[in-house]
Amino acid sequence: MIPVLRTEKLCKSFSNGAAQQHVIRNLDLEIMEGDFTVIMGASGSGKSTLLYALSGMDKPTLGKVFFGDADISGYTNDQLAVFRRKNCGFVFQSIYLLENQSVLDNVLTGAFAVQKNSPELIKRVKELLAKVGLDEEMQKKYPNQLSGGEAQRVGIVRAVINEPKILFADEPTGSLNSASGRDVLDIFTGVHENGQSIVMVTHDIKTALRGTRVIYLRDGKAVGEHKMTKYGGDDLKERREKLTAFLEEMGW
Amino acid sequence: MKIFRLSLFNLKRNKREAAAIVFLTLVTAFLMAVFAVSITQINSAFDRCFEETGSADFTLLFQSDKYRDIYRDILEDEYNVTDVRESSVLLGIGASALSKKGESIAYNMVFATESTERKMENFKKLNALPDDEIEKLSHPVWLPQYFEITGGFAPGETFTLVSGGRDYPFTVAGFYSTGLYNSDNMLKCIITDDDMVLLSAVYKEYRMIAFNTEREFSHVEYYEKCSEKSSENVSNIVMAFNKDTERRLETNFLNIFLYLSVFLSVVTMISALFLILHKISKDIEEQMVQIGVLEALGYTSRELSLSYIFEYILTGGVGAIIGGITAAAFSPVMDTLTRGMMNRDVHTDVDVLRIFIVVISIIALVALFALSRAARVKKLPPVVAFRKGIKTHHFGKNILPLEKMKRSINLRLAFKGVFNDLRSNIGMGVCIIAAGVAVMFSVYTFDFFKSGYNGLMGVMGMEFSDISVLMMSGVDGEKFCDEIRKFPEVEKVLLTRATENYVEIKGSNYGTIGAVCVSYADFSLTDNIHLKTGRFPEYDDEIMISAKREETENRHIGDNIIIKGDVCEKNYIITGIVTAMNNSGMSVYMTEDGYRRIRPNDRPNTVEITLRNEEDRPAFTDKLIAMYGASAKDTAYEQSAQGSLEERIRAKADEKMAVLISQYGVTDVDYAVRIGDTVISGNSSRFVIKEMSSMKDIAKSQMGPIAAVTKTFSFCAVIFIAVVVAVILSIIAVSAVKRQRREFGIMKSMGYTSRELMIQLTLRILPVTVISSCIAAVLSVWVQRAFWMAAFGVRIPESPTLIIGTAAALVLFCLIVTYISAGRIRKISVTELMTE
Repeated sequence: MIPVLRTEKLCKSFSNGAAQQHVIRNLDLEIMEGDFTVIMGASGSGKSTLLYALSGMDKPTLGKVFFGDADISGYTNDQLAVFRRKNCGFVFQSIYLLENQSVLDNVLTGAFAVQKNSPELIKRVKELLAKVGLDEEMQKKYPNQLSGGEAQRVGIVRAVINEPKILFADEPTGSLNSASGRDVLDIFTGVHENGQSIVMVTHDIKTALRGTRVIYLRDGKAVGEHKMTKYGGDDLKERREKLTAFLEEMGW
Repeated sequence: MKIFRLSLFNLKRNKREAAAIVFLTLVTAFLMAVFAVSITQINSAFDRCFEETGSADFTLLFQSDKYRDIYRDILEDEYNVTDVRESSVLLGIGASALSKKGESIAYNMVFATESTERKMENFKKLNALPDDEIEKLSHPVWLPQYFEITGGFAPGETFTLVSGGRDYPFTVAGFYSTGLYNSDNMLKCIITDDDMVLLSAVYKEYRMIAFNTEREFSHVEYYEKCSEKSSENVSNIVMAFNKDTERRLETNFLNIFLYLSVFLSVVTMISALFLILHKISKDIEEQMVQIGVLEALGYTSRELSLSYIFEYILTGGVGAIIGGITAAAFSPVMDTLTRGMMNRDVHTDVDVLRIFIVVISIIALVALFALSRAARVKKLPPVVAFRKGIKTHHFGKNILPLEKMKRSINLRLAFKGVFNDLRSNIGMGVCIIAAGVAVMFSVYTFDFFKSGYNGLMGVMGMEFSDISVLMMSGVDGEKFCDEIRKFPEVEKVLLTRATENYVEIKGSNYGTIGAVCVSYADFSLTDNIHLKTGRFPEYDDEIMISAKREETENRHIGDNIIIKGDVCEKNYIITGIVTAMNNSGMSVYMTEDGYRRIRPNDRPNTVEITLRNEEDRPAFTDKLIAMYGASAKDTAYEQSAQGSLEERIRAKADEKMAVLISQYGVTDVDYAVRIGDTVISGNSSRFVIKEMSSMKDIAKSQMGPIAAVTKTFSFCAVIFIAVVVAVILSIIAVSAVKRQRREFGIMKSMGYTSRELMIQLTLRILPVTVISSCIAAVLSVWVQRAFWMAAFGVRIPESPTLIIGTAAALVLFCLIVTYISAGRIRKISVTELMTE
């Protein structure tokens, strides 16, 4: 498999006055194309920080991040923005929809950052929204008129509408009830089945089960890795037991 | 106390906005207070000066040779005038004097002796040389304060009069204070009796009558009475000066600057109020959850509203108080400025009450506006506030849906943003309109004065030729003009009459010395006579009037007007309205044939020559002298020529003839001198030119300083308003970035660059800026017209290019300021936003 993302001695520190906090320490990591990578770890282990460093949302303190052959760690903020719009999609725990824009416009705002307006694009956006259960009527609504699950589905469509090379998700079901969370994860699974590379941060075992590779972080270092087959291709109970065993071994 | 603490908390959070409101209210209070104090103090300073100098309110200057005692009797008998003071003076209209830099400048000057001056006024001496030094001076002169303040002369320096190519140097003994003769209009110099005799050969003698009257004094009526009793057209031999006209001349520009200051203060006040409304709205929006929490904790909505109001009373109050104190401290500076513009020593008392009223009014206005907006807190009970108000629950129509987007996404998103904050945009629009009108008005004024006094010359309603030749009577004007036209240096030659060419208008109550009648055979050849409406007169029964006369006397195109000549009166039809400032904006204009209807024997006596290159004037003057001989006026003061006896006798005879012609109005002279058997004879036909002068020089001395001051003031006003606009827009942009931090963060996470978001924010103000600038452009033209008409009775030319250019520059400036201020978007960290 070809690595779509790669880090070399990645470090990320935050300073608070005189105190320096090293969140990621000399991390070497490869994210493979077509993988559904799940990053897990205890609170404060650096999961989200790693996600933001990998996705070009944030710059590393030291080390390098390669996207293909391109070293994005030296990019300016605007270069990173262009990199994100062309290559990445994001799904957030807090969803982050634009409140003053309708469902359709929220997705189109993301789409038009990369693509030109065309009837085909509009048709595709509407179809995608319909596919995740948001019909024409729902598409006219505003974020404050949606439930959490509905809003997150909009967030996912917005993230995948530009067919990113890699989709990042930061605890996408964290703020949802279990039924809504399951629906959202089903969408992720469906997207992955279509060949989408996904990197997801979670601390929920049910969510992690959807992945094909679980990386465990402790004190900013990748201390373990667990590989799985595609979700649905094996016995779920056995899959869960193996993952639980791995996590327990990691001290979770 | 707890409310006060909330206010302080808000202030600490928004230091930048608080500083802006302090700045704007400070400037408003300062400008308003300066206006409130100065507007009356200037008039009282002027009145005080008249009291101190003992100057009479009215003065008449009659040509001595035509003066009759009956004129004084009429004053005493029919106007109950007491305390009439009468004396002889010399008058030089357009008399040349050397400036400090040695340039020749034309002034209107009166010369009087010290004893005369003591008879007419108190002769209040100011800055002077010691008495023993003055006694040693051979030609001492006491100058009015004008020459000290505007001219820059000092006691002991040389003041040189120039006439007929000869210098008359005087030593400045000192300066004195005079009531009526201390402006561009007329300046009075005090000289010794001996020098008076010397200058009597240079300047014409006039009879000065000064008086006060408590009755309303109509010059026109008085001249009519004088004319009736003396059978002479008195309006042609008299010049009048009075306190009201002098006050207008001296304080007009000062008042204009003060009213412009008020205009600027209105702009800053509107800006401050808009900022307050904008900020309270945004604060409430931003702090809605906090408001809900505080209400849940037991704070009443009244208390929370008051916390906002206190915040602005505090900032507005600090600004207004500092502004008021600054205005009081500015008093000596204002005195200096006023001194410079009025050419008099001025001391204004600080009127604390007026300043206090200004400060209190500003604070009250701020409180009122803050109250109107802070009252919104009442509409937010805790539950609504927790849910961030009803406003965020968007149930409205989706304006400008992206689905129908045709061009740039940034443009579309920007325009969507306009509708999301419509109320704020309207407020900003009002602000830009006010600032735009002020800035455009200042730009037009600057443009008008940018080339010094040339702009003013264009609206004077009279021609300013390079050389003005007053011909001897009997000279064929047309033939003379034809000869002049043949010179290659000459661009244009016009035949007309001297400017002191007064007529009376029946039914006119305006004017002290009648109306100047300007006549040309063909007005289309003139440069500075511009029509406001209508057309130039073409037939002998047609006339044009000034715009001011149109307004003050309610006369219009198509109306009839009766003009009184020396012996008859004729009816004319008004064909056009002219932009004219000369003659206090009350001139009339008719064709040469039209003028002859009232004065059949009066032939045009002045040739106005415009050269292709103004710099050729000295050389061309020499050419004229070489061709036509020196003017009678110049010949009168020439040194007698050297040579044979006959040559010397002829030169002396010429000099004598010239004195008779130039000083006593003699038209033809013959002479014969017998020496032994030889008879040397001649006549005055050798004189073609009576006098040569330059209207441009007079314009330069009278309008130059005013033009320079106005240009500087308008330039400063443009800069000042630009700063105000920049402050407002940058605060709006920064507050928008703060408020929409989350939205911008989300957009950044989607891949929108900071630059794109900055462009979006900038484009959001584009519609309101364009619309406001267009409205401001229209209003500024209207304000400019109204201002110039009210102040000077003229309409200055408008340049569509300048109007459009200024409006476009304003739009561009607003966009640039907003773009730069939106740079804060760069500081928004997506990661921080996501991990909040």
